Formats: sequence, C-alpha cells, structure tokens
Amino acid sequence: MDILFSPQLLAAALITGVLYALISLGLNLIYGTMRLLNVAHGDLVMIGSYIAFMAFSLFNVGPLISMFGAAIICGGLGWLAYRSVFQNLLSNSEILARLEENSLLLFFGISVVVQNLVILFFTADRQGYEYLSAIVEIGDVRLTGARLAVLIVGSVVSIAAVLYLRFSLFGLAINALIQNRDASAIVGINVDRVQMFSLVIGFGITGLAGALISVLEPITPVMGFPYTMSAFVVIILGGLGNLWGGFLAGLLLGFLEIYGVAVTGPEWRSVLVYGIFIGILIFRPQGLLGRGRVAR
Amino acid sequence: MNNSLRLIGTAAVIVILASLSGLASEYMLGIGFTLFMYIALAQSWIILSGMTGYISLGHVVFFGSGAYVFVLLWGLVPVWLGVAISGLVVGIGALMIGYPVLRVRGPYFVILSFGLAELVKNLVLINEARMYMSLRPVFGAPPLAQLYIAMLVLAVVATALTYWIRRSRFGAGLRSIREDEWAAETIGVPASRLKLIAFALSGLIPAMVGAIFIMRSGIFQPGDAFNPIVSFTIVTMAIIGGSDDAAGPLLGVAFLVILQELLWANWPEIYMIILGVLLIGFVLFAPGGILGWCSKNLSRSKKNAA
Amino acid sequence: MLLEINDVSKAFGGLIALQDINFAVEDGETLGIMGANGAGKTTLFSLIAGHAKPSQGKIILAGQQIDGMRPAQISALGVARTYQIVRPFRGLSVLENVAAGALYGSHQEKSMATANQMAHEILVDVGLDDRAGQPAGSLTLAGFKRLELAKALATGPKLLLLDEVMAGLTPSEVNQAIDIIESCKQKYNYTLIVIEHVMKALMRMCERIIVIHHGEMIAVGAPDQIAQDEAVIQAYLGAEK
Repeated sequence: MDILFSPQLLAAALITGVLYALISLGLNLIYGTMRLLNVAHGDLVMIGSYIAFMAFSLFNVGPLISMFGAAIICGGLGWLAYRSVFQNLLSNSEILARLEENSLLLFFGISVVVQNLVILFFTADRQGYEYLSAIVEIGDVRLTGARLAVLIVGSVVSIAAVLYLRFSLFGLAINALIQNRDASAIVGINVDRVQMFSLVIGFGITGLAGALISVLEPITPVMGFPYTMSAFVVIILGGLGNLWGGFLAGLLLGFLEIYGVAVTGPEWRSVLVYGIFIGILIFRPQGLLGRGRVAR
Repeated sequence: MNNSLRLIGTAAVIVILASLSGLASEYMLGIGFTLFMYIALAQSWIILSGMTGYISLGHVVFFGSGAYVFVLLWGLVPVWLGVAISGLVVGIGALMIGYPVLRVRGPYFVILSFGLAELVKNLVLINEARMYMSLRPVFGAPPLAQLYIAMLVLAVVATALTYWIRRSRFGAGLRSIREDEWAAETIGVPASRLKLIAFALSGLIPAMVGAIFIMRSGIFQPGDAFNPIVSFTIVTMAIIGGSDDAAGPLLGVAFLVILQELLWANWPEIYMIILGVLLIGFVLFAPGGILGWCSKNLSRSKKNAA
Repeated sequence: MLLEINDVSKAFGGLIALQDINFAVEDGETLGIMGANGAGKTTLFSLIAGHAKPSQGKIILAGQQIDGMRPAQISALGVARTYQIVRPFRGLSVLENVAAGALYGSHQEKSMATANQMAHEILVDVGLDDRAGQPAGSLTLAGFKRLELAKALATGPKLLLLDEVMAGLTPSEVNQAIDIIESCKQKYNYTLIVIEHVMKALMRMCERIIVIHHGEMIAVGAPDQIAQDEAVIQAYLGAEK
C-alpha cells in the first residue's frame, strides 16, 4: 500500500492528467463551437507522435522543438478539414439537423482511413526512440528528463491555453459561440472565422500533445483511440464546452486512472477508463461540475 | 397477386441457396456463410439503430458475448441448444442493461455503445486471463454445410423480422422515436418500453450468429470475437445500403462481402480505407444510402415525367 | 368535471413559473388561456400532458389523478397536445405521422390498415389529404400546424390542448384554422383548451377564458367579461400592479 503514497505515483498521475487536460481541451473547443463529435481526435495524437518520431529519426530534432511542427501541421489539417468539408457541412441545414450523429460517423470514417494509411506507410509495428532518458531527481521524485519535460511543457501549454481562451477577445468570442451560436452571429461575431480557428487550435494543441506523448509510450497507428475515449470522458466529466472544468476533469481522470491501476493492476486500465466513462454517461450526463445544459 | 409472386420468388431463392449447401465448393460455401452472417448482423442492427435512430457503434458486443456464452457451454449441451441458449442469455442481458443504457440519447448513446463493447471485451479478457485461457479451441464442430444452412436461417429470420417490424405498429412507434422521441411520447408511444424490446431483439440474433461463427473459426479469442471492425463493417453496410428497411442491408452486404473477399486476406488496410471512404461519402452525399438515393431520384424523375 | 387543476404550482429551481393555479374544465367546454410570453401557459400544458411534474397541487382527469404519470400514459388516457414550436416526424410521410397517433394514443389501434384509414380521414378533415404521401419535413408552416392538429386528433383525445396553432399564420389561414378546429370539435367531440395570442380566435371559439400573468391566474370569465376586466387591462397595458 505504500506505493499509493509515493511521490512517484503522484508525478505519474500529474503527467497523465495534464496530457488528458491538453488533449480534451482541443476536443472541447471543437465540440463546443461546432457540435462536431470528433472521434478521430486521438488520431491527431497519433499523427503528432509520428511527426515527432520522424523529426527525431530523420533530422535528429527533439520533440521539444518538433512539437511546434506537430502543432502547425495538425493545425493545418484542421484548416484543411474546415475549408474542404465542415464549412459546407455547417451551412447545410439538412445535415445540420443531425449534425452530431453525422459528424460522428464522418470522423469515424476519417479515423479508419487515417489509421490504415499510417499502417500502410509505417507498418503496424511499435516505434519509439530514446530522448532525455537520464533520471532526474527532485527531492524524493525520480523521473526521466523526458517525463519531467512533458510535465512542465504540458502544464504550461494547457494552463496558458485555458487562460488565453478565458480572457482574450478571441476566447470571449469562442465562449459566446459555445453558449449560443445563433446569438453570436447576431451580435456581430464572425462565426465562420471563430469556427475555423477553433478547429485549427483544437487540432494544433492535440498534435502538440501527441509529440509530447511520443517520448512516453510506444508509437503505433492505433495508439490514438484510448486518447479519444479519455478525451470524451474528460469533457463529459468537466461539462461540455466548459474549458476550465475540462482542465480539472483531465487532472481528475489522470489521478483516477493511475491510482486505480496501482490498486487493481494494469490489466484493469481499460476497464477503469470505460467503466468511468459509461458510469458518467448513464448517471451524470451533465458532468460533475456542470449544471446540465448540453446533454439531453 | 404481385405480393404472392414476390413471396414465391423469395421462397425459391431461399430454397436454391439452401440446396447449394450440398453442391457448392467449400470456398463458395465460405463466402455464402460470410454473406449470410453479415446480412443477419446488419438486419439486426437496423432493428435498433435504423428504426430508433439510436446508432450503435458497438454491435459486436452482442456477437462476442454470444460467442463467449457458447464456448463456455461447449461440450456441456447439444450444439444447437447451445446456440439458442447463447441468443437467449444475451437477449436477457440486453433487457437488463437496456434501461439505463437507452436513457442516454443521441451522440452520447453512439459513444456509449462503443465504450460498452470495449468494456465487455476487456472484462472477458481479464476473465480469460484468470482462467489461464488465452484462446479456446472448439473441436468437433458440425461441417460447414450445416453451419451454412444455420447461418442462412438466421439471415432469413433477421431479414423477415426487419421487414415485418418496418411495416408493423411496433415499427411505427420505433420510427417516431427516431424522428422525435419527446413528440412520440406525447402521442402515446411508450418510448422506453419499445426501445428496450428493440434493443433485446437487436442483440438476440447477433449472439446466435456469434455462436455459429465460433464453430466456423474453430477458436475463441476475445480480441477477435469483440473486434470493433465487425461493428464498423455492420454500420457501413447498413448505411451504404440504406438503413430504414430490410432491402437496404442486402445491397450493402453483398457489395462489401465481395470487397472483403477480394481484399481482406492480402490487403486489409486497403479494405478498411475503402470502407472508411465509403462511409464518409455516403454520410456526406447520400445519407439515405443506395436505397434512399434510388427512391429519391426515381420519384424526382417521375415528377419530371409527369 | 373532465379536468381539475387544484392548487398547482411549478418552480424551476428558484424561478416560479406557475403559482396556485385553480380551475376546472367541463366536458365539452372550450377554454381559452391568455397571457403574455413567459406567463407560464405552455408550462401549464406540459404539466397536464405529463412532460413536467407540478411542484405542488394535483391534476385530476375524469376523477383520476394524473400528475406524475408518463406522457405516454396520459396520452393513453385521452389527453393530446400540440406544440407551439411544431414537432413533426420530419422523416416520415404525412400519413405515417398521423397514423402513428392512431396506433398509440388512446385509440391503441392494432391494425395498420385501420390506422391508415383513420389517419386518412383526419387528413381530409384538416385539409392535408393531398399531401399524405409526402415527407412531413416538406410542408409549409401552415401545413406543419395542421399536421400537429391532425396528429393530436388521431390519438383520439377526450381533452385536446392546442398551443398557439395559429401563431405565424396569415389572417385568412387563421380563419381556416378556426373553421377546422370547430368542425373537428363537433365531429370528434372533445373538450378543448387553447392557448392563443390571436384575440379574435379566442373570442370566437371560447366559452370561458383564463388569464395568466407572471405565473398567476388574474382573471377568469366569459370572453366579453375578460375584455373589460380591470386587472387584465392593466396587465396588458403594462401598468404595474
């Protein structure tokens, strides 16, 4: 039982929690502003990981630099997706009526295509690389340099993003859109632009998270899906569209998962995540913090 | 007159398909088996998802659970009784979990259905690991010709069931739930009850399909029996065909099984990519599937002619 | 008495939507409900139809307490309602929309053929029979409003709750709507409660009118009495109490 009180476990929970917070932030933006259920979200993590892996193995560039590249490339994919598909989709009333279901099926299709394309190019094998693997000691905590870097970068980026979205003018516009799309257009918010940037930022942040994750775990074409699930757990837990709630919920899920696995065993990891997920959907669809606005 | 002709035609096709079991090669029987399997699965999916709009992305959970119950019973009861029990157990299980699960609506249900399938898969994995069973062989299964007939029966039953429900009072209730559950309750549709029945019916046949499938593959592995690709294939087949009536899946399944046969063994990734692209294309450009697209364009050309 | 509303109140969180509502409706009566937007009229319908539970008080239909029942149960007892913001089954045909009402509701018709026949007859009554085969989503607003009425009628109501079925219609469409409602009432013989902003319609159709203001009943009486009621005039002209 001592292990439960070890700072090691605390650090692990923090790392997982921060990454969940970061990834779910992207999903929250996309769902909140456009009601798009992006079940391919985890595949952006996977793409970000592969970008970092490629950058390292081809050009010897570390993830702390290539993460910006991953963010830019994934953001660009967001731009592309918006301009090519979703801009039209969001103005088609017939599709808009069943947007959530349709976008879910759409992203599901995209996810399958992307994963299999990656398998074709990189094979289904696990990939990985060594980076900052030396142990750093801070007090009682022993971490690899990579994990410490992930913890710091992840915290800084996610907190900065939440603060930015809370206090900047653009963040206000996004919030307005999350609250009420039609009214936002009436008060003069350029809905089209806000939607596009939400998708770009949402994709970009997630790609960046993917680059960070590439130093923590083996990279495979199907690594993204658990992150999709976790991100959905987090945004439902924190309240859909509630960015700050999502941040806290991300940390909470990280703790639940790491400590849960420490108590039960690694084979229970998936059961825990899915169990929490199903429990929340059934018993508290309005989230833990939320007052039940969106989920009906 | 037209109706009875159609009935005779359908019966003739079924008899011919059944008599093939003694004539066709193993290879052809295998293709037929897969074809019937997916017809039965897609039709069952329609009963829940096509009719009520509660889109299930985890229908493999019924398939896999049926298979699991069946292998647990293997050797303890006669084969076909085992198949029936598997269906029954899963159907009753669906009734038990259905009420809370079906309170979750719209997109949340879709994600929930997927999560549920993964949860059950992982629980089975853990349970098998506890019993030191990474895979369970099924020895002494009936020959393929018999399995072929059994699968044909399930496909026919599932198709008939979907066809009947689509034209019944029950189906009218389910379809009104799909369009607007709140308004459906307002006109007296007991939504919770109808959804629950649809959920159980929708799980019953896939469970038996799973049981028979395990006899064909000869081995039970949780990862295969609960493979999400099965769910995905079912959804794509139904959506490609058109998911509001029994004729839709027939079209979608025939197309995809041929594709699967051509590509699956050597090019699984290409197969999956084509599947994904088809799903994207149909959601974007023909949400009613082949069937919906045809009827829409036919009525348009009729209107133009008039 | 067909319907009794006894001391009914409804609060959403801290917001009081309805307070101490008391009235009774006789068999065959046509009762009008007036009030500004947000006065609580639609909430009252939701309580009667079972979409919400009263925080206090009882609702009694033909001697049976119905508050707390599911909407489908209440529908089976013979209460039908329409929605101000129409809720057609867009993907189904107009005929299927109405037939669904006959298959469930208080008719609980078991045969599809009979239900379709009943639906067809009702479509003739409301003047939508030429649209029977079209998808409901393709109707105009006036068409949607008629479809709402037809769906409600098909359930075989003893008590019909009409929520602003005339809002948004042109004057000539309003006249047609009134004619349809009145002729259907004679034919199908139900008790009627109407929420309406179109005063002319209320005055013409109703035997009694109830006025709700900020969740409270401020007047009840015959149409000409209401038209001269001090409290009502004050409420409507915006004077503070």
